[in-house]
Amino acid sequence: MTLFKKKKKKSLSEYSTGELILFRFRKNKLAMIGVFMFLAVTLFILAAPLIRPYSMVYKQDIVNKLQGPGEGRIFGTDELGRDLLARILYGGRISLFCSLAIIGIAFFTGAIIGGAAGYFGGKVDTFLMRIVDMLMSVPSALLAMAIITALGNGVWKLVLALSIGQIARFARMVRSSVLTLRNMEYVEAAKCFGSSSLRIILKHILPNGIGPIVVSATLTLGAVILSISSMGYLGLGVASPTPEWGTIISENKVNIQYYPYLGVIPGICIMLTVMSVNFIGDGLRDAFDPKSKN
Amino acid sequence: MTEKKKESEYLLEVKDLHVQYNTDDAIVYAVNGLNLSLKRGEKLGLVGETGAGKTTLALSILQLLPKRVGQIASGSIKYQGEELLGKPDSYMLGLRGRRISMIFQDPMTSLNPTKSVGDQVFEVLHLHFPNLSKAEKEAKVDQMLQMVGIPSSRKGEYPHQFSGGMKQRIVIAMALIAEPELLLADEPTTALDVTIQAQILELMKRLKDEFNSAVVLITHDLGVVAEFCDNVSVIYNGRVVEYGSVEKIFGSNAKHPYTEGLINCLPSLAIDEARLKPIGGHMVDPRHLIQGCCFADRCQHCMPICKTEPPVMHEKDGHMILCHLYDKTEEAK
Amino acid sequence: MNEPLVEGVNLCKYFKTPRGLLHAVEDVNFRIYEGKTLGVVGESGCGKSTLGRTVLRLQQATSGSVLYKGEDILKFSKHEMHKVQRNMQMIFQDPYSSLDPRMSIRGLITEPLQVIGGRTQSISSEAIKEKVDAIMEMCGLPSHYSNLYPHELDGGMRQRVGLARSMVLDPKFIVCDEPVSALDVSIQAQILNLLMDLQEQHSLSYMFITHDLAVVKHISDAIMVMYMGQVVEYAPSKVLFDNPMHPYTRALLNSIPTIDLARRNRERITIRGEVSSPINPAPGCRFAPRCPYATEACKVSHKLEEVAPGHLVSCTKGAR
Repeated sequence: MTLFKKKKKKSLSEYSTGELILFRFRKNKLAMIGVFMFLAVTLFILAAPLIRPYSMVYKQDIVNKLQGPGEGRIFGTDELGRDLLARILYGGRISLFCSLAIIGIAFFTGAIIGGAAGYFGGKVDTFLMRIVDMLMSVPSALLAMAIITALGNGVWKLVLALSIGQIARFARMVRSSVLTLRNMEYVEAAKCFGSSSLRIILKHILPNGIGPIVVSATLTLGAVILSISSMGYLGLGVASPTPEWGTIISENKVNIQYYPYLGVIPGICIMLTVMSVNFIGDGLRDAFDPKSKN
Repeated sequence: MTEKKKESEYLLEVKDLHVQYNTDDAIVYAVNGLNLSLKRGEKLGLVGETGAGKTTLALSILQLLPKRVGQIASGSIKYQGEELLGKPDSYMLGLRGRRISMIFQDPMTSLNPTKSVGDQVFEVLHLHFPNLSKAEKEAKVDQMLQMVGIPSSRKGEYPHQFSGGMKQRIVIAMALIAEPELLLADEPTTALDVTIQAQILELMKRLKDEFNSAVVLITHDLGVVAEFCDNVSVIYNGRVVEYGSVEKIFGSNAKHPYTEGLINCLPSLAIDEARLKPIGGHMVDPRHLIQGCCFADRCQHCMPICKTEPPVMHEKDGHMILCHLYDKTEEAK
Repeated sequence: MNEPLVEGVNLCKYFKTPRGLLHAVEDVNFRIYEGKTLGVVGESGCGKSTLGRTVLRLQQATSGSVLYKGEDILKFSKHEMHKVQRNMQMIFQDPYSSLDPRMSIRGLITEPLQVIGGRTQSISSEAIKEKVDAIMEMCGLPSHYSNLYPHELDGGMRQRVGLARSMVLDPKFIVCDEPVSALDVSIQAQILNLLMDLQEQHSLSYMFITHDLAVVKHISDAIMVMYMGQVVEYAPSKVLFDNPMHPYTRALLNSIPTIDLARRNRERITIRGEVSSPINPAPGCRFAPRCPYATEACKVSHKLEEVAPGHLVSCTKGAR
């Protein structure tokens, strides 16, 4: 990973645009803290089977219920005696996987819609943007809730429901980016030697416009994690006994008053992940902006 | 002010100015020992290409360099005998717009798109003459707009409703309404069509006579300088390489090789040429300080001494040339 | 050589705007022969850039034809267009926005070959590399620039890259849209020399669009003066400068600031006012509102007439 390679000091103007962006990103301490935090969280989650076997997620042990953090039980147990650490580790997989999938799907779909609308203009633009307007007119949380209620609970249904709410934002961002870029003279030059519209969009417009959109996607990731958790807290999407950070808080809400660790620990996990992603997003945004302090 | 002001011969005097930009990457030596003197009512042209340091000079006079990065390393800038460097912001605020005004290249970005043009001109007047009555100020604004050729019926319109040439006229109105003694014009007509440019230059000449302001016209266009200015300073690598009256610069045979190069590479309207004569090489990298003459590696007349010793300014009848070619003539005297 | 390589016949380009129909290019006719340059000169809003783009089909013409070797390319299907596309290229004004900032110099120059190659005939990557090397040398780009990016080059070098990119397809006709306007004077001269050298070596034809009269005189064989979409005068270079006939042409020539001290005190012809709106323009000559010689007849009709061999003008009131 180029992030960790030590670079020889060249004059700033000799770096390519991509390298410059990475360079500025690496200089940003908060962004790098975010990267490490996020990597640490991801590593833990991926290493789950090494820390706790999957069976412990559902294994009830009523005798040892509601035991606080202590030896053998790093995070303690919930009211059914299930090991909290196991539930947090495997629950994190769902939280992270879902949020990445949601961003990915929303980004991809939004880019196609926004790209086509921006590049072709006219009736295509009007038609596509009215669809986007319709999507935007419903608050995304309500939309997601409505879809889940209709389709029922489940991981993929949750992903679908929350993706739809995010498409509109990406479509509009990509469209506005494309609108600016399609008037660039290098796009006209590409038309001169016969480039097809698809080639122009993929080779010239998207690479140049992608910056601010990637930043937005990273920052949205944090919001999406929170949405999943909120949905889970409301009992929608991922439902008990399937572990997920928000669902864990929800299923333990009765006991939180006297056993606060049941709420605080998953809460901290959510907070750390969202914070780290926000730091990364901020860092990316500053790195992409050539006029930033760096 | 209780102290007596010495009546200086010169309105503006810049001596040995050094200005640099301290970027993360490197230090950019924008102005390297620049000298300039301007009398009241004089029209001076500052000619040079991109990166010569002309805009930096103008911004330095008004102390408008970017705060964190721009630094006046040494030298002196005297206005009416008063040293400007070291003066507090409050003093400069009183100077800008009132005694020294500046107009910039792009009229599109010089005007506030959310205020009417009348309001913008009014604002300048109000800032410097707050004690006039509203009616008096309005009358002055009308008069000024009329003078630049904008009918007062259009006072309430917004900048986007005007063409480029008209926007520049409005900018000129804003610059001159407080009747400054010095107008710094940074490429005022570069973004305009040639017929509009002719109109604007005509206007500037008329107004200059009306208010007896001095004008420093910064441009890369030699023709504009020849037609508008009294004297010319040719700038290269942050210093004046030649100075003289327009007649001397464009008329006499003695020239700095850079000036000669600039004149020669222009396609001529009078003569038919098969090929143009560009100046070879590249503009000097302002991040490096040059030993010897800054123009040496592009100069057709380069001699060994040019690479090691920086040249001295030679003067003859008010015509100054910074070049070793003229060393001998000096010694002969 | 008797047939023009590129010919424009009654070309019109109008834009629909909320306020009405914008007449950007009005009934323009021109002929460009092989190895020759047509200069198109005029101020902002005269339609010269739109004309250039319409000729290459970057904009769709409203009416009229553009003949390349006698065939109307405006009527070509996409497939037919692909066959001739490589012969007609363009170089742009802004050296900063005409190159994709994310592509290396080599990548930029290679791209046209990849696009054309994928379509009509396949070219081996060896052949591509050789071609690109040759073109870079021809345009004065040192080989070590291959892996640099546009932001590392100065304006003059970037224009060379733009030129190389057009030349790599061996075109016969290039529309040059103000290619030197954004460059310093000393670099302008280098690029103009290069353009003229390439023209001589490869028998290229140019449509050279500019507002700079001295430049256009130097590089053009014939010159077309435009005002608000209309052609007001069309003549061989020398003839236009020696004997301008249209009042606008005369005023244009008169406004050029010159370092020739003898001309400093010439009689000034200042045109009053500003360019009027090209939206729903009044019939007749569009220069009439500003013209010192305008009569009622001027507001009715505007027609180009040949007053001398090769010299067309719509009005001779500006002649001395």
